[in-house]
Amino acid sequence: MAQDTLFRRITDYAHRADPYPLYAELRRAKVARQEDGSYLVGAYHEITALLHDPRISSDTRERTDPEGPFPQDSSLPPSFIGLDDPEHDRLRRLAMRPFGPPHTPGRVDALHGDITAIARELVAGLRHKDRIDLVDDFAYPLPVTVICRLLGVPHEDVPRIHAWTTTVITSLDISPGEDPARRREAALAARAEMAHYLGELAGKRRGHPTGDMLSALVNDPGPEGALTPLELMISSVLLLIAGHETTVNLITNGMLTLLRHPEALALLRDRPELMPAAVEELLRYEPPVHMLPQRTPLVDIEIAGAVIPRGVPLILVLASGNRDPLRFEDPDRFDPERPDNRHLGFGSGIHSCFGAPLARIETQIALTELLHGLGPLRLAEDPPPYRSSPVLRGPRHLLIERVDGG
Amino acid sequence: MQIVVDLNRCQGYAQCVFLAPEVFELHGEEALMYEPTVPADQRERVRRAVAACPVQAILSGEQAVADVR
Repeated sequence: MAQDTLFRRITDYAHRADPYPLYAELRRAKVARQEDGSYLVGAYHEITALLHDPRISSDTRERTDPEGPFPQDSSLPPSFIGLDDPEHDRLRRLAMRPFGPPHTPGRVDALHGDITAIARELVAGLRHKDRIDLVDDFAYPLPVTVICRLLGVPHEDVPRIHAWTTTVITSLDISPGEDPARRREAALAARAEMAHYLGELAGKRRGHPTGDMLSALVNDPGPEGALTPLELMISSVLLLIAGHETTVNLITNGMLTLLRHPEALALLRDRPELMPAAVEELLRYEPPVHMLPQRTPLVDIEIAGAVIPRGVPLILVLASGNRDPLRFEDPDRFDPERPDNRHLGFGSGIHSCFGAPLARIETQIALTELLHGLGPLRLAEDPPPYRSSPVLRGPRHLLIERVDGG
Repeated sequence: MQIVVDLNRCQGYAQCVFLAPEVFELHGEEALMYEPTVPADQRERVRRAVAACPVQAILSGEQAVADVR
């Protein structure tokens, strides 16, 4: 079939459970111009080169046609995920100050006990059930509880956050169908309400720190000064949304993959010290973010014998790069002990995932507790029903049954 | 447990510092310092750091010792 319909076929819901054959087609094309003028890249080395190329912008305002695919939210300025250096670097560094090194190196490590306790409590709640929906009963509540606690969102407000993030994430869905304009409007409203809520919460923490990230952001500005109130609102909305669905998908895809590979599951039950490497392999084999749809070349870019023109939407299909046989031996094989696993599960370059260390720890703990806290399990349906989005790809539900006599 | 970080490969993603903050340390934004002899109570954390390094720059255990020689 024609290369210029690849994106339409990848986003078609019929291919959600298994987009990988289409990714193989994309890799053969190297650079694939689409019928709407956007460009798709799916080979490992080309994706890596583009992610490290300062001539590739993350700011969709650089597009020749700003109303094309993935229009920009014009009511609020972009968060740092949609900005280029030096502005991206300044905002990311200020947001990093209360989260990680060099200023706060121990924050994520210190969450270990908390995350384990939350995971154990959730697993204990599953023990009396014959049928578990891993998404609703475990993979969703765990990261949401953790990110809200980390930022300093009170427990009673978590349902409101849930409703807002669901609306925003639904609007990121780029598959055809429903009225995208209406979805977009609802998302803009939700994002604005969430920003307002977090701004107010940060205001309450000013002068009354409670040990969380919002408190540190307002009370402990570094030598460069603090985020402005608007920057703080926009950055914390980004962290809250990004800390949600992606980790849910990583945990769910992880359990799905392990249940499909009983020998790997048995290996990890026997040798829990392999879990960190296994999570890296999951990030390669079934990553939660399948593509980065927001890039734009600032000038004409020559790559793999093609020219990607300035100002067009450039979509980097990370999940395809992760299965590139030119980089990974036997790429369609799930191997929890894979050596030299430099996957693209968290992207690469200056925009590489801000929350990666937290996602890693959460998933390592989540899968360890599930493997050790419950008896033998099996999938009740395979493939499971997927969420609509081809970008943040993962099951909407994952029904798991207990195997009798376990 | 011994570790060696290939500092030519290190790109300052700092995943190791998040995951084993008592063994790895950032000086300024990018310069990495580390403790080559890993205390017993830090081994699990260092294993996580080795697995997580996006450029696979941390060598540990037998491998590290052999490479140093």
